[in-house]
Amino acid sequence: MKQVIVHPERCVGCMQCMLACATAHSRSGTLLAACQERPRPNPRIHVGAGRFNEGFPNRCRHCDPAPCQMACLAGAIYRRESTATVLVNPDRCINCASCAMACPYGVIRFHEDPLGPAGWAIAIKCDNCGARVAKGLIPACVETCKTGALTYEEMDDAMARKTRAVARSLSAPDRPAMPAGVVLLTSIKQAEMQLGER
Amino acid sequence: MQHVIIGNGIAGVCAAEAIRKLDARARIVMIGDETFPPYSRPMISHVLAGDQPHDKLPIRSTRFYEELAVEPLLGRRVAAIAVDEGQVCLTDGTRVAYDRLLIASGADPRPLRAEGMELGRIFYMRTQAHARQQVAALEGARCALVLGGGLVGFKAAYGLLRRGLAVTLLISSGYPLSMQVDPTAGGMILDELVRHGLTVEVGVSVRAFEGNGTVQAAVTDAGTRLPCDLAIIGKGVLPARGFVPADRIAVDLGIMVDDHLQTSAADIYAAGDVAEAVDLARGCRWVNALWPEAAAQGRVAGFNMAGRPVVYPGSLSRNVMRIFDLDVLTVGIANPGRDEGCRIVTDGGPGLGYYRRLVLKDQRLVGAVLINRIEQGGVLRALIDNRTPLRLPPERLLAPNFNFGRLLF
Repeated sequence: MKQVIVHPERCVGCMQCMLACATAHSRSGTLLAACQERPRPNPRIHVGAGRFNEGFPNRCRHCDPAPCQMACLAGAIYRRESTATVLVNPDRCINCASCAMACPYGVIRFHEDPLGPAGWAIAIKCDNCGARVAKGLIPACVETCKTGALTYEEMDDAMARKTRAVARSLSAPDRPAMPAGVVLLTSIKQAEMQLGER
Repeated sequence: MQHVIIGNGIAGVCAAEAIRKLDARARIVMIGDETFPPYSRPMISHVLAGDQPHDKLPIRSTRFYEELAVEPLLGRRVAAIAVDEGQVCLTDGTRVAYDRLLIASGADPRPLRAEGMELGRIFYMRTQAHARQQVAALEGARCALVLGGGLVGFKAAYGLLRRGLAVTLLISSGYPLSMQVDPTAGGMILDELVRHGLTVEVGVSVRAFEGNGTVQAAVTDAGTRLPCDLAIIGKGVLPARGFVPADRIAVDLGIMVDDHLQTSAADIYAAGDVAEAVDLARGCRWVNALWPEAAAQGRVAGFNMAGRPVVYPGSLSRNVMRIFDLDVLTVGIANPGRDEGCRIVTDGGPGLGYYRRLVLKDQRLVGAVLINRIEQGGVLRALIDNRTPLRLPPERLLAPNFNFGRLLF
């Protein structure tokens, strides 16, 4: 089964995935119209600044077993086995934020959602773009990512590729696993931060 | 293999599910005092507040026992455990044999000793039946009295305020939730409640209730009369372990369990509000009578009973609640003693719309109190749970842009 895989070392923090995610979870489905919608559609992927101000795309890992599901007071969080997705039932969610306490990644938000019940806030998190995938599309964040920080593939394939890349970088030090420009940018950022912390 | 589970709260329910997951054929007997389908106990405060209907309380199918092939003995109470015979004795004289026993009997409200407790409209707040009676008593009620400023009393007061009643809260410390939050956060919570009409009396205890059939007033130790149309007693809970033979099963405040949730007696396990495990933040034994801990403990106990050894690392006090416009999240130790060598960093405060306080010990986070902007609270909770040594300055954890990515590299 294909899933969204995050490669944080490739993220440049452009936040295009957040826009695409909010658009995909709007009523209209287009960016321009989504901006006008009330309640405002919000992203379910969150690009934060990492330790050295590098981009870090943070999204639900769909853990198994999921701590949020075990902590849910209302029995609103469940797992759809067929797509390995942890979902929130909007009709059962009581907006108690127990899942925020349980989630070790901090990826759950609470607000009124265009696709949820009108007039009250509920827990909102990544749904693996189930509606898009059912139509044969890939998740919106992956489709829009320009740097390969988000990919949609079999986990085994991604693991094998990563293992090969690491092996290559060890055996042939003149061919780094990352493009030279990215490595330079990252090391400049890190040096800046470390100097600033002194 | 015959498993017997005492208690049909969330710990017992999760244990039964865990046993059934590993063993399709084992016989499972559940003894429960409450006859209602498995429900969410924390949600009863939402029912009192009028946020959620009573019929939303069940969180498992109404055919839970059939679907899981569990034999329920509902509406029955346990009188004793005959450890040598491997039997549980019920109050009606029935004896149930076990190979493995789980005590998940939960907790009972801490009783109040006062005259006039037999009057109507004086409630504890523990079960769905209490919530149903409380909601029924709201009709025509104008003013209410809540005893106790801990989690139970606080939630009762909040629910009654939401229902538009004039509520008087009697607390022993200067602010509510003094076990969960520090004085600054407590002050912010108190201000928010008072702004919505709460009256607070500090250091007052009730000696007697007066009324004619139903309660009409409470009399304090000082002799003052506090008129009320209904009263809720929320002075916390005590582990329900009256039937446990203390000479055979080691008990402290709760039933003492090891890191597999086994008691000092072979083949007898305990989980939930009745169990006393190690508190991860405090580093000593502690009863954390909390729903998420009960669910987690029930699951671990069930796996161990079914023969798969699973370690339970320890419990952690944690709570999250919404109080009108405040979102409050607390985890671990909020008020360390002066001699515990803890470092405290804070940000925000009254008037700023947010507050955060972190308690650190030996480069590890041991407690946090957040008011508003609580989305990253789970990341902090995981740092405490996992006892992760911090590699970044604690002030960075307070920053508004703190996120999981900050912890990497």
